Amino acid sequence: MGADSDAGASPAVPWRKVLYERQPFPDNYVDRRFLEELRRNIRVRRYSYWAVVRETGLVSQQLSCVALFLTLWSYMEQGNVGPLTLLWTGLGCSVLGYTLYEALGGGIDRERTRCADLQSAAVFMAFTFGFSPVLKTLTESVSTDTVYAMSAGMLIAHLASFPYTQPSLPGSLSLNAALFASVCLASRLPGTLHTFAMLSCALLVFALWPCLLQRLRHTAEWTFPWAAGMVCVCGVVGVGTLWPAGALLLFLALVILTLVCPLLLVRLQRHKDNIHGPWDEAEISDDLSRFLS
Amino acid sequence: MAEKEEFTDISGKTIKLSCQNYSPFCREFTISSAKLSLGRVMAFTCTVWLLAYTAFYLTQNTAVLSGAIFVTLSGMLLHIHFVKVDHETLLVVGSLGVQLSAAYASGRESTTFIEMSRIKDIVINEAIHMQTVIYYLCILLKDPAEPDGVSSVVPLFQSSKPRLNCLVRVYRSCQEIIGQT
Amino acid sequence: MGQRKRVNVQSPVPCPSETQPFSPHTHSSTEIPHHTHAFNTSGHHGYLQSGKHSICMVSDFFYPNMGGVESHIYQLSQCLIEKGHKVVIATHAYGERRGVRYLNNGLKVYYLPLQVMYNQSTATTCFHSLPLLRCVFVRERITVVHAHSSFSAMAHDALFHAKTMGLNTVFTDHSLFGFADLSSVLTNKLLTVSLCDTNHIVCVSYTSKENTVLRAALNPDIVSVIPNAVDPTDFTPDPSCRDSSKITIVVVSRLVYRKGIDLLGGIIPELCAKHPDLCFLIGGEGPKRLVLEEVREKYQLHDRVRLLGALDHKDVRDVLVQGHIFLNTSLTEAFCMAIVEGASCGLQVVSTRVGGIPEVLPDELVTLCEPTVSSLCVGLEKVIARQRAGKVPSPAAIHRQVQTLYTWRNVAERTEKVYDHACRQPVLPLPARLRRLRSHCGAVAGSIFSFVAVINFLFLLFLQWLFPNHLIDVAVDASGPGGRWGRGFGKEESKDPIVARCAVEDTRRLKC
Repeated sequence: MGADSDAGASPAVPWRKVLYERQPFPDNYVDRRFLEELRRNIRVRRYSYWAVVRETGLVSQQLSCVALFLTLWSYMEQGNVGPLTLLWTGLGCSVLGYTLYEALGGGIDRERTRCADLQSAAVFMAFTFGFSPVLKTLTESVSTDTVYAMSAGMLIAHLASFPYTQPSLPGSLSLNAALFASVCLASRLPGTLHTFAMLSCALLVFALWPCLLQRLRHTAEWTFPWAAGMVCVCGVVGVGTLWPAGALLLFLALVILTLVCPLLLVRLQRHKDNIHGPWDEAEISDDLSRFLS
Repeated sequence: MAEKEEFTDISGKTIKLSCQNYSPFCREFTISSAKLSLGRVMAFTCTVWLLAYTAFYLTQNTAVLSGAIFVTLSGMLLHIHFVKVDHETLLVVGSLGVQLSAAYASGRESTTFIEMSRIKDIVINEAIHMQTVIYYLCILLKDPAEPDGVSSVVPLFQSSKPRLNCLVRVYRSCQEIIGQT
Repeated sequence: MGQRKRVNVQSPVPCPSETQPFSPHTHSSTEIPHHTHAFNTSGHHGYLQSGKHSICMVSDFFYPNMGGVESHIYQLSQCLIEKGHKVVIATHAYGERRGVRYLNNGLKVYYLPLQVMYNQSTATTCFHSLPLLRCVFVRERITVVHAHSSFSAMAHDALFHAKTMGLNTVFTDHSLFGFADLSSVLTNKLLTVSLCDTNHIVCVSYTSKENTVLRAALNPDIVSVIPNAVDPTDFTPDPSCRDSSKITIVVVSRLVYRKGIDLLGGIIPELCAKHPDLCFLIGGEGPKRLVLEEVREKYQLHDRVRLLGALDHKDVRDVLVQGHIFLNTSLTEAFCMAIVEGASCGLQVVSTRVGGIPEVLPDELVTLCEPTVSSLCVGLEKVIARQRAGKVPSPAAIHRQVQTLYTWRNVAERTEKVYDHACRQPVLPLPARLRRLRSHCGAVAGSIFSFVAVINFLFLLFLQWLFPNHLIDVAVDASGPGGRWGRGFGKEESKDPIVARCAVEDTRRLKC
């Protein structure tokens, strides 16, 4: 049974993968059945290209949202758009969006009444309006470069931490990052009303729009590509009116994100080589929480 | 009558073991290390002074030079007084006890005496010393509370650190005396 | 000489009981008598000529830590000493336990002062352990370095240094590892590097062999399968301890996720609802104890589920014999000692079918289930029904069947052959070793570790210049062909023994 025994002589009995029996084979014997339980890539998912493209649409539209917000801010800063215009447009959009949201969510039980929604909207508006002079002067002592750098960092953090995978409301980290960035940017605008308008707009873009989009995906699946596409086009056109080269860059980024990356994901699947076998730690598939709750 | 033998310590330097038999019950072992070599003293002094002179050249501050003189002198004094052991002696007197003494190069001596009643045994032991494992001779002291136990260990020939063959000689002679009592 | 009674030295026992493996001999009063001729220069044994080996077991895991690897090293060493080989163990210092100690039958243990980093594993820099390990290898005239456990950084270091010093190496892998996550990718790469020039590898089951071969990209011919063993005399059945009015299911394991304690938390309420005479006896401690306590609280099973907490190894048998059925819910296991111990105590064994478990016991002794609550419940109910109907073999019969399956002597015999085989192989010289590292471990890792190997070699040359080999005293053998342990106890022989004792000793005592 030693490591040095002659492995060439094949005994009459077949080898068995058991330890409790002394077998007439050396300890380092390698049978034909060695590694026969090896499985490769058992948990590989087959991706369909267009399904992946649909999913990446969410990422692209979020990027476009950020671009759209920055465009609006830029217009405000240059004085091309007045704060009142923005406020009225925002109000129109939110009324429209709220109606759509309600219409789509007809089947779902509501915990909150419309009155409560209105109340929170009013409270938020009142507070933002009241505090906008404070917010305006909040970053006065900080240099403009720092504010821009901070906003850029926060917007990137917003994009990175946005919960793309599970269809849910924006996570607290991503929402907070986005709002922080908007406060920073809004404080660089010329007037307090500008600040107020910008913050309301940020709330629309970063908090309410993802909710509506999620409901759209949930109830009317077909509308989602159109909605996402529309946001992307708006983003590119918006940037284009200010900075054509930037618009080209954004367009390229969106194309790579929505079309090329899914292609890579699907193509590279064939190079996947996962090894599975009896040595893998078993996964508990039962739902064990039912025993405890 | 004293027999002298040459051994080496753990770093390969020559040491001398002299064994003096006063009576069948009394024996003295002396391990003398090599004398402080002039070459090493010179090397040490030269290094310090060269460094000091460089510092003086760069800073043009004469305090550096006087500092260097002070450092070399006090360093040498401290070394011969507290570090450099000239010889270590182990005096074993059967039925009375064991006296350990170390004579420093300056002439200072430190002596300890251990009564036979406190000694459990003399053994050769192994220990990890710096990055090596070495043998050394030690006295096991009895635990007053528990006759079979060992309360602590007194290492012998700590400074000279002789190698195993030397330890074995001392060990056997010691055991002859301790074994008789 | 009268005062030196060596009452505590036993004559060599075949395979000393595992329950108290280290008890009386770890005190500072342990002594080894030696013949004087041990110090003749002619006393150097040609180990290879005598057919015996001088083995150094290296692992971070050893007593006072307790576990499978620790007892494996201890038992294997004892059986190898019994077969006439010389064995020393090198591990890191555990608290006050550092320096050199002797265990039963002259098993010498070096507790080296190396820094522990995480989970009793030492930190590794690939270099800093070389001086101490070289000293141990040289003074003990080691011919084979046997490293244990892939979780032990010291074992990997020792393999690396042994190769630098030109010694033959053997490695035993005790655990299974996945391939999926980042940490396993990194550990597997390290294992590839570490095992790429190891002479022979030992695995504890065929599944473990497949795993190790894949992880370290090895040639399967240099991997031997030698199972673990249990001491059957420690695990004897005693049906009188059972409560025949009910059926007791025993679980003895650490209460951690990998042992499937969450599954156990699902099984308990399910089965307790169906069988009013069923009770559970759970020994072990761990973070998942909370799960079991919650289940017990929620279903009001305080009188039927007893949590015993951490068990000493010697108490395990007393717990096992109280049960009818032994349940193992592990999610991964290279070789499950627990089920062998359970079966040896005459219990019906129910276990999950994971890792190497299906290889361990014959089908009539174990009921294998999938690692789900429902499958385990079905399996357990089948066994409960058989137990009620009295259709199970008697505990004594089961014990008789199990006791011959796994013995440490058999393990030692087979390991001895691995040593013989490893010693016949040439040790690669440095250029060949570098080529092998680069060709075997990939361009990047291979080049990095070739560089490390070269530095290690230069470090060794530096050490050989600083402390030449001839200045390192050759250690007195306690075990092996010239072993002094257990000899020279007769009155006439003990006139003049050289006594080397291991004492609680470290560098501080020497005031260095």
